[in-house]
Amino acid sequence: MKTVIVRPERCVGCWQCRLACAVEHSQTKDLAAALGEGVRPRPRLRIYPGRQHLAFPNKCRHCEPAPCQAVCIAGAIHRTPRGTVDIDPGKCINCAMCAMACPFGVLTYASLYKAPDHRAVALKCDQCPEREAQGRVPACVEACKVGALTYGEWQETQEDKGRVLAQAVFASLQSPRETEPSLPDNLRVWRLLS
Amino acid sequence: MRYVIIGASAAGQAAAETLRQWDPQGSITVISDEAQPLYSRPLLTYLLSGEIRPEKVWLKGADYFQEWGFEARLGEEVVQVVPADREVRLASGRVCPYDRLLIASGARPKVPGIPGEDLEGVFTLRNLADWRRLESGLEGVRQVVVVGAGAVGLKTADALMRRGFEVTLLARGAQPLSRMLDATAAAMLMDAVATMGIDLRCHSWPVALKGDGGRVKKLILNSGEELPAQAVLFSVGVTANVDFLEGTGLGDPGGILVDRKLRSRDPRIFAAGDCCRPHHLLSPGQWPYHIWPAAVDQGRVAGANMGGGSRLYPGLLPQNSLSLRGFKIISGGLGPHDTKDCEIVAELDQSRGHYRRLAYREGRLVGLTLVGAVAHAGIYFQLMAQGLPAPEPVTPGLLWG
Ligand SMILES: Cc1cc2nc3c(=O)[nH]c(=O)nc-3n(C[C@H](O)[C@H](O)[C@H](O)COP(=O)(O)OP(=O)(O)OC[C@H]3O[C@@H](n4cnc5c(N)ncnc54)[C@H](O)[C@@H]3O)c2cc1C
Ligand code: SF4
Ligand code: SF4
Repeated sequence: MKTVIVRPERCVGCWQCRLACAVEHSQTKDLAAALGEGVRPRPRLRIYPGRQHLAFPNKCRHCEPAPCQAVCIAGAIHRTPRGTVDIDPGKCINCAMCAMACPFGVLTYASLYKAPDHRAVALKCDQCPEREAQGRVPACVEACKVGALTYGEWQETQEDKGRVLAQAVFASLQSPRETEPSLPDNLRVWRLLS
Repeated sequence: MRYVIIGASAAGQAAAETLRQWDPQGSITVISDEAQPLYSRPLLTYLLSGEIRPEKVWLKGADYFQEWGFEARLGEEVVQVVPADREVRLASGRVCPYDRLLIASGARPKVPGIPGEDLEGVFTLRNLADWRRLESGLEGVRQVVVVGAGAVGLKTADALMRRGFEVTLLARGAQPLSRMLDATAAAMLMDAVATMGIDLRCHSWPVALKGDGGRVKKLILNSGEELPAQAVLFSVGVTANVDFLEGTGLGDPGGILVDRKLRSRDPRIFAAGDCCRPHHLLSPGQWPYHIWPAAVDQGRVAGANMGGGSRLYPGLLPQNSLSLRGFKIISGGLGPHDTKDCEIVAELDQSRGHYRRLAYREGRLVGLTLVGAVAHAGIYFQLMAQGLPAPEPVTPGLLWG
């Protein structure tokens, strides 16, 4: 299956991917309009401060088998025919069981315009199905100008990496400093969207 | 091989499916006293609140048993297991012989044993039938008392509140979830509960229920105070469904004692889920811990071992997620009472309503509470489950090699 490949050593922590992701998952899919939407669009990937590098991105790996799917008590998480792990906002009850299971810590919980009554549901990377249908790469990949996020075939097992990544995220959670984007012109926009 | 599984819920289903992979030919009989199993028990409180419609509780389609080639005995109660004859006896008189038996019969709510429990308007919530009974019993009700402020009690109180009832919630100790939360996290929870409009009473328990014409009218508290109530719901813990083991010495109401392979003392009989008393990952001793994911995990291990595998259950890691109208608490590992000898790192961000408490023992993470910001829970639990060293920072440059 084609997936977003992360090369953390290239990441400069500019948060362009987060912005592009939030816009892609907005109702209007337009930056200016997205800022004014009633339900604030959320990015589905995170950037952590790194020790050696400026930052490193983290997002859903669409694990096979998927630990989040195994614990979802509402049966809201399923695998799509294209191989991604997807959350059905019509079924999700915002119970956060999946947060306990995801070894990458990539889920967030927030209101979604697609959910019944705009209620809060679990959100994560869906690998931009609407873009894929148009033959386009995911929004974060398009936005990343330094090659930290690319799109391609990925066979290698994620398990060991998951373990090391868990420790890295853990380390960065211990660090008192917050991630700061290195491109100041972007500041206002990402503050509004993140 | 003839396999028999008692219970078709989280543990029973997971075991049956795993077993089918290990033994594609064997005969697998699944028995449940529920006519319609295959639903999500944790959704019952969401059903009660009206957040989900009844058709959303089903986890499997109607032809599930057929698809998997399981023989289903639904709506049939097991009354006796006879290890000497390797037989399971049903209330209908039917007898199911087995070569390997899995007991995945779960647990049922306890009641405290006070006068008046048999009055109309007194409920527990464990299965779909209980929910239907509760729904029809709530007609004309204004005030409800929920007894027991565990995770299920809290969610039930919230659900009833959303439905517009006046809800009083009784906690026996000084706070709800006393085995899971320290005083700081509990205070945040109690604030949230108060905001929801639930009248939480700590140090409170019922000593009697009083009725009128067979229907409950009020609840007498330990303090002597009388609470008017047209419905009372008990959520004061559960007891293992093991009546059918009487005389076998295999199980008691505390659960069925199992080894690392989830085998009972009889090598042909396995147990998994809420009815068993498994080993724990971070602490010595064996005791039941009632969560859906653990039941599924145990079912998978037991299923593989029944089918000839030899998988060891690593031990249960307590984990709980409580989400009440967006207010979220995740906690797990060792609770506040078991972390007295641990190094505790706790941070409170009052303005955002975030709290994080980490307990370390010998350089390993052994306890976790997250309030408000819970997204990274899985990272912490992974470190805990795998016993990875926690304090040493890892440079992300090493990650992708
Ligand atoms: C209201 C509620 C909310 C919950 N919320 C959560 C949550 O959010 N997260 C979480 O992790 N857990 C939650 N739980 C706990 C979770 O539902 C249980 O841990 C889980 O269902 C255990 O699965 P099990 O297969 O071991 O047993 P059960 O689900 O109890 O299934 C056992 C089955 O065996 C049947 N049975 C019993 N005795 C017999 C007999 N003699 N003959 C035939 N059949 C029999 C029972 O009827 C039942 O169908 C909740 C529980 C309740 C009641
Ligand atoms: S949410 Fe987490 S557990 Fe689920 S598929 Fe994505 S990375 Fe894996
Ligand atoms: S929050 Fe939603 S997706 Fe996650 S486990 Fe609960 S119901 Fe499933």
